[in-house]
Amino acid sequence: MTSLFSNRKVIAFLVLPGLCIMLFAIAIPLVISIGLSFTKWAGFGKIRLIGLENYLRLFADKTFWRSLYNVLMLILVTVFIQNAFAFIIASILTKLPENRSRILRTIYFIPATLSLVVVTKLWVSIFHPEYGILNKFLHFMGLSGAERAWLGDPHTALWAVIWIMIWQGFGWALLFFYGGLVTVPKELEEAATVDGANRWQTYTQVILPYIMPVLQSIIIIDIISSLKQMEMVYLSTEGGPGNTTQFIALYLYQRAFKYAEYGYGNAISVLFVIIAVAMTLLIQRLFRKSVEQI
Amino acid sequence: MKKKIVGVVICSLLVFTSVFAGGKTDTKKSDEKIVLKMGDNLPDRKNGYGAVIEKINAEFTAAHPNVEIVTESYQDQPWQEKVKIYATANQLPDVLKYWSFSGMMKPLIDAGLLEKMNIQDFKSYGYMAGSLEGNVYDGNLYGIPISGDMWVIYVNKGLFDKAGVPLPKSWEDIIASVPKFRALGITPLVTNGKEGWPLCELFDNIAQRINGDFTRVDAAITRGAKYTDPDFVAAADYIQKLVKAGVFQENLSTSDYGDARNMFGQERAAMYMMGSWEMSLATDPNFSEDFQNDLDVIKFPVIQGGKGSADDVLAWFGGNYIISSTSKHPDLAYEYVKLLGKRFGELAWETQACFPAQKVTPRDSDTLVSKKLLQIAADAKSTSGTPGLDRSDSVFKEDHQELIRQLCALMITPEEFAKSLDASAARAASEK
Repeated sequence: MTSLFSNRKVIAFLVLPGLCIMLFAIAIPLVISIGLSFTKWAGFGKIRLIGLENYLRLFADKTFWRSLYNVLMLILVTVFIQNAFAFIIASILTKLPENRSRILRTIYFIPATLSLVVVTKLWVSIFHPEYGILNKFLHFMGLSGAERAWLGDPHTALWAVIWIMIWQGFGWALLFFYGGLVTVPKELEEAATVDGANRWQTYTQVILPYIMPVLQSIIIIDIISSLKQMEMVYLSTEGGPGNTTQFIALYLYQRAFKYAEYGYGNAISVLFVIIAVAMTLLIQRLFRKSVEQI
Repeated sequence: MKKKIVGVVICSLLVFTSVFAGGKTDTKKSDEKIVLKMGDNLPDRKNGYGAVIEKINAEFTAAHPNVEIVTESYQDQPWQEKVKIYATANQLPDVLKYWSFSGMMKPLIDAGLLEKMNIQDFKSYGYMAGSLEGNVYDGNLYGIPISGDMWVIYVNKGLFDKAGVPLPKSWEDIIASVPKFRALGITPLVTNGKEGWPLCELFDNIAQRINGDFTRVDAAITRGAKYTDPDFVAAADYIQKLVKAGVFQENLSTSDYGDARNMFGQERAAMYMMGSWEMSLATDPNFSEDFQNDLDVIKFPVIQGGKGSADDVLAWFGGNYIISSTSKHPDLAYEYVKLLGKRFGELAWETQACFPAQKVTPRDSDTLVSKKLLQIAADAKSTSGTPGLDRSDSVFKEDHQELIRQLCALMITPEEFAKSLDASAARAASEK
């Protein structure tokens, strides 16, 4: 059996299906995309080679940079705010009796089980300036001055959209942290207590390093989902008002299929892949360093 | 032995030949199931426009029991995007609703994606002058028109009475009415701002009310004028004045078609700025009888001191039906389009679904809204033709929509709007 698996032909045969999938699903589309990024094409009709023109235009495109800024904001909010809350609540849940913890876990996870369309439309209705429940509540509380078109006001639109995203994503983060925290051996916590560590020190110097692989996975998922964020923005603001809620994936789609600038859309997608890979590698390196230090 | 083998081979060939010959005959049998794929921007299949198409589909399938019509429908903008995606994949539906504007249909024709039609086949269907011709490119007909569209304002007379406000003749009247409507919690005027194009129609119309000349828009696109000229800047400035005065809903730039339409239909807004295709509001069972009794329509108001009159109408023949050149059933698709051309006008007017591109006979039973629309059309002293955003390429169109949204969200000044729009028009003109 061992000799069978050390046979190069057998290895090649077993690797081949996966390799084919990688080739046809990732490598070939990427090569085609790179090729098309040097063209001016509507997606149909005549195709014209224009060299680096799309890339030069992209670097000067304010909307592209705005969409990248919005992605970074979303990453920061999910990593530092959503995850912090998810970690705190997951920690509390691990200390609660199992039956109560299970009920609360189910409640927190409900938004994540709902359809993205339903969640978005729900919040669009809540934020509606004329009949939305949020403005009605503010009015009821005597805070009429705070009423606004949450998704239509350039000052609040991005935060309203990010709120919808984290409201739905929170359940997943909580689930990951909870899953990680329940694997921490009780002996570790007890040993830290015996050594005189207070609760803060136990969490920051014992528990958090122990679940570092979980944290790394969560952050990479956060980054990837922030980069490919599209449907929720499309259904709520479509990037408006005035591109204040524009995100890269949506902008790419709009350029390719609304503006019929397929070549330019592909240039965005190539840069999009480079940014996503760079961010993932950066996070992996940062985590490797921190694990080595521990 | 050899003879036996040859005999078996010949017999086998004969058997296979007869089988395949039989198969070919089978494909011609009328009971072979054929799926005709269609697509349009009419998601509501029970009322108005969509219901008329369903009636025609039913007539067609009754005459062709072996044909199944499968339709996919989206709102305007998603449908336009879908068509571009299908065109990219070379998978357009057999028959689809689109728009005859050169910026939209010409790229599909240039890419060889549309089937030619014979204009003589449609001459006897009572089309209004110029409507079929709007679908002719390089001497060939590529689509049949569906509706004649006018840009108007629907009003709820009941809400006007409640606020003690007379129906407006000018935009100044509308601005003056804002405090009275707002005091009652009523939004003065709603429209679909999320998609941008209704705001572009507003821009063209306001510009005309200021300069008195619809041809200025075409001049700006063909570079005989500039969007930075004072009349266009004044139009952009006037639109911001309307926004600042509180004329529109607060979430104008993110309010979509359904949201704006429902706000008006549910009597939360006194006016609804939209095209004449919304005449079916008067018969839409989703809205109350009170609303339908109070429904009326007015001409696009004038601007005091402006050169345009209320009888200059922003009007065009836009929506059409086209056939994909990749259709597997081109003859059947053409037969369907001929039935559509023959029946749509009559059925659309009979059900008061929309203002068709064909001549109609007024009846006493027509709704007040349709009678008024006929009057507006009859009073028209000049018409605009294709709206400005559809006179250039798709990038200009999207730029126009994005910039007007930013203008209405007060994110850019009228001068910045004019400068950016002009730059986009200049780019499009230089690439032609």
